[in-house]
Amino acid sequence: MTNLVNCSALELAEMVRARQISAEEILDETLTRIVEVDGRPGALDTAPAVDDEKKVHAFITHTEELARSQAQEVDAKIAKGEDAGLLAGVPFTVKDIFCVRGTPSTAASRILANFTAPYTATPVERLIAAGGVMLGKVNLDEFTYGSSSESSAFQPSPRNPWDLSKVPGGSSGGSAAAVAAGEGALSLGTDTAGSIRQPAAFCGVVGMKPTYGRVSRYGLIAFGSSLDCPGPIARNVRDAALMLQVIAGADRADATAATQAVPDYLREIERGVKGMRIGLSPDYFRITFPDPQSGEYVEQALPAHMQEAVWKAAELYRSMGAEIIENVPMPNTRFGIPVYFVISRVEAASNLHRFDGVKYGYRTKQAVADLNEMYRRSRGEGFGPQPKLRILMGMYVSAAQYSEQYYQRALKVRTLIRHDFENAFDPQGPYRLDALLTPTTPTTAFGMADVYGDSVMMQYADQLTVPANHAGVPGISIPAGFSSDGLPIGIQLLGPDFSEAQLLRVARAYEMATEKEEWREKKPSLLEGK
Amino acid sequence: MSVEYEAVIGLETHIQLNTTTKIFCSCKADSWDDAPNSNICPVCTGLPGVLPVLNRKVVEKAVLLAAAMHAEIQVLSFFDRKNYFYPDLPKGYQISQYDHSLARRGYLELPIPASADPNGKGYVRAVHIHKLHIEEDAGKTKKERNRRYVDFNRCGVPLVEMVTEPDLRTAEEAGQYLIRLRQLLRWLGISEGDMEKGNLRCDANVSIREKGSSVLNTKTEIKNVNSIDAVKDAIQKEIERQIREVEKGHAIKPWTLDWDDNAGVLRMMRSKETEADYRYFHEPDLLPLEISAEWQADILEGLPELPLERRARFMRDLQIPEYDADILTADHDLADYFERTIGLYKGDVKKISNWLMNDVLRMRNEWGMSMSEMKLTPAYLAELVQLVDEGKINITTAKNLLPKIQESGKNPRTLVEELGLAVVSDDAAIRAICAKVVAQNPVEVKSYREGKETLIGWFVGQVMRELRGKADPKLTQQILKELLK
Repeated sequence: MTNLVNCSALELAEMVRARQISAEEILDETLTRIVEVDGRPGALDTAPAVDDEKKVHAFITHTEELARSQAQEVDAKIAKGEDAGLLAGVPFTVKDIFCVRGTPSTAASRILANFTAPYTATPVERLIAAGGVMLGKVNLDEFTYGSSSESSAFQPSPRNPWDLSKVPGGSSGGSAAAVAAGEGALSLGTDTAGSIRQPAAFCGVVGMKPTYGRVSRYGLIAFGSSLDCPGPIARNVRDAALMLQVIAGADRADATAATQAVPDYLREIERGVKGMRIGLSPDYFRITFPDPQSGEYVEQALPAHMQEAVWKAAELYRSMGAEIIENVPMPNTRFGIPVYFVISRVEAASNLHRFDGVKYGYRTKQAVADLNEMYRRSRGEGFGPQPKLRILMGMYVSAAQYSEQYYQRALKVRTLIRHDFENAFDPQGPYRLDALLTPTTPTTAFGMADVYGDSVMMQYADQLTVPANHAGVPGISIPAGFSSDGLPIGIQLLGPDFSEAQLLRVARAYEMATEKEEWREKKPSLLEGK
Repeated sequence: MSVEYEAVIGLETHIQLNTTTKIFCSCKADSWDDAPNSNICPVCTGLPGVLPVLNRKVVEKAVLLAAAMHAEIQVLSFFDRKNYFYPDLPKGYQISQYDHSLARRGYLELPIPASADPNGKGYVRAVHIHKLHIEEDAGKTKKERNRRYVDFNRCGVPLVEMVTEPDLRTAEEAGQYLIRLRQLLRWLGISEGDMEKGNLRCDANVSIREKGSSVLNTKTEIKNVNSIDAVKDAIQKEIERQIREVEKGHAIKPWTLDWDDNAGVLRMMRSKETEADYRYFHEPDLLPLEISAEWQADILEGLPELPLERRARFMRDLQIPEYDADILTADHDLADYFERTIGLYKGDVKKISNWLMNDVLRMRNEWGMSMSEMKLTPAYLAELVQLVDEGKINITTAKNLLPKIQESGKNPRTLVEELGLAVVSDDAAIRAICAKVVAQNPVEVKSYREGKETLIGWFVGQVMRELRGKADPKLTQQILKELLK
């Protein structure tokens, strides 16, 4: 019998619609998989246990009852001959940064640990309306502030299914780990600087950050409101396209959601890349970061195996009839992280103001003399180190006397980053690219606790993904083989505004061309024999 | 030699717009009769993950006000976050507009009546506004028995903030500005403009200087004034306090003062040594507000002739006295009513003005309705006055008819017929009554014939009584004189 947990979302939905299998059967098999691999869910104030290192720990909250009723509803529809939706019976998880009515919506923070949302985020609502079956809420960095998922207040934090001693990336680490480990075919993540693409690359799955505004942010607990993008995480490109199909589109509850029509992402997805112009930029083959000792900026070439994956992909594309344009200048790429440090922190500090102990969430248990002390203690006890750092930084660079020097200046540089992309994609310009091909991350997944604690270095894991957030353009990370130590490598495709259909097509072309390659047979160590 | 001082006053007004729903969600805007926290939703209470969606009606009403204030409406303006902590501010920031507001500059040519002019002549004060922007209101907190309560109903109620330049010079002028602003808000139909209910709020910035000087001295800010009279009262007291301080050689400190309406005194709330840093930045959850030429034109199609313009036109074109023009333009309905009536009436427009000011307004107030709700329509009023002019009915009858028209909704001509109120000008009918009166009163007839001709009025009165006031008075007198010869 087919192993349902390894099936794609497209296959599952087709089988359900064809009455070959029921949504409940898929759910049962998926729940079994979760029991086998996931271990205990993240929780507050837990002591580490030895067994923790042998499990994925993707979840914070299991919503089994909800999933059961959704699966039964799908089966009932099928029984009555009704349309059960594009995702009929497809199990999915949701990053716990989205509000879902009646479920704890924690943002992986103590300050929201007791918060149960009274409403459902638009993209989640659309997934459920399309017949999806929600398995639960998965772990992340606290308020999405990180690139390893280790900063979650809900421990143990997720681990990388390919190597449990490595991080799954972040902040959508629970999402990528769950999808890689067969705990649901799809996961809804968010990407503010790379938080979908980087964990997707680390976990050997597909992750897409759509154009800013392509997917509604309503119900997404905000980090950097001008950067946040909900998007799909899936095991293959067509599943990502299918999921995007369901969640994309205008939303009356989000004024910044784009009103452009949503194209059929699957229709032309296999038409190949013949005649397309795909670019490579030297600015994406190195990283620039402050030396931890001297504080001086140093430039460093990416490890050879990361570069090779991109070159190999470029060769494949060339062989399929695409034109490869080398040396596309993206000179402002190196400013992506410093600019992000300013803009995202200003927005984050403001977005965190509402967590004040007055209305919901954590309030200090200690006796307080006045309102200000209640604020200070509630926030001091409720927030972990990452939110605190971001509040401090955000308040500093937006203060009246510094705003011009930092925040206003960062906004100007953000515009320059946007110009890099406009120049590269301009149909009348010198490069006229359909897509820019880059590595997704500077390295493969790093070890648990190796980088955690160094907030600056952690941030540089996003150097190659954050420019797309500044510019608002879409990007996708797809698996492109493994490093010699067996860790997944991701490559990234970036395109102009609303070019998702085209990016998915380019990504799918790579997937098809490498279908028969040996590395495609590899499975996460955790799942050997399953 | 004593120094002569003048006050320099600027007003910061917050105007609650009377939209159906709040500015960023679909809760109803008005919570006046609602229990605390019963008119709220995830958006206006700032739950995690929610987003604001702008109510276009708020923009439209604010644009009307901006146009009426002769302000420059900006094609592109931005929303900003004003960050601060307070329990009644659920998001920890207020969505407002900061450096790119909906409208900039503007002015009101404020007529100061003779009664408010120390020289007794009246004059015009140009009051400029610096900017006009839209924002959301915060909730309310109250302290009771050492506990603090928060009511979020008011969160997200749409406000316009309009700040004047320091152009006002007396407490009277400040009062006049608020009266004219309130009139304008009601005229445009964008706000109830009621200070007592808090849908018009006003903080006053006050400083003094030597008359003739152009310096701006340290100002104080007066808050929590809840009526136009209180604004005048508070400003006057603050001017006097500042003069006393300066004369004693003390410096004025930039205090924020709280008006205690019951005690009629100002109290210091806090000294304002440093300005709060609200860390404004553009609200990323809302798109820049673009008011296209088409949209603006659509909105301004609904902009009526303004009250002060109409007042001037009444005086200029209709030769109506200033006093009348002021009353007739007190509200839009009344001014319309007046103009519709005179359009249907063939006579002296001043007569209609008198009817309106003396009789119709009193009746409207008694009945507690607006002019547009009256069954006594402009056509009926014009007809009624016309009937008097034609001598069909006399003034007394006409005045008595007013409530009857209002009650029945019937036109005056029909009512006059139904009730038999028409003046009797049938010579024979009057002659018969006159003859009867003369026959029944031989003593008076004798006196009259002996020379006491003033008795003619008494005879007319008797005839009138017989005919229940409907006799044509001229004709009656003529016949009586004939019979009494």
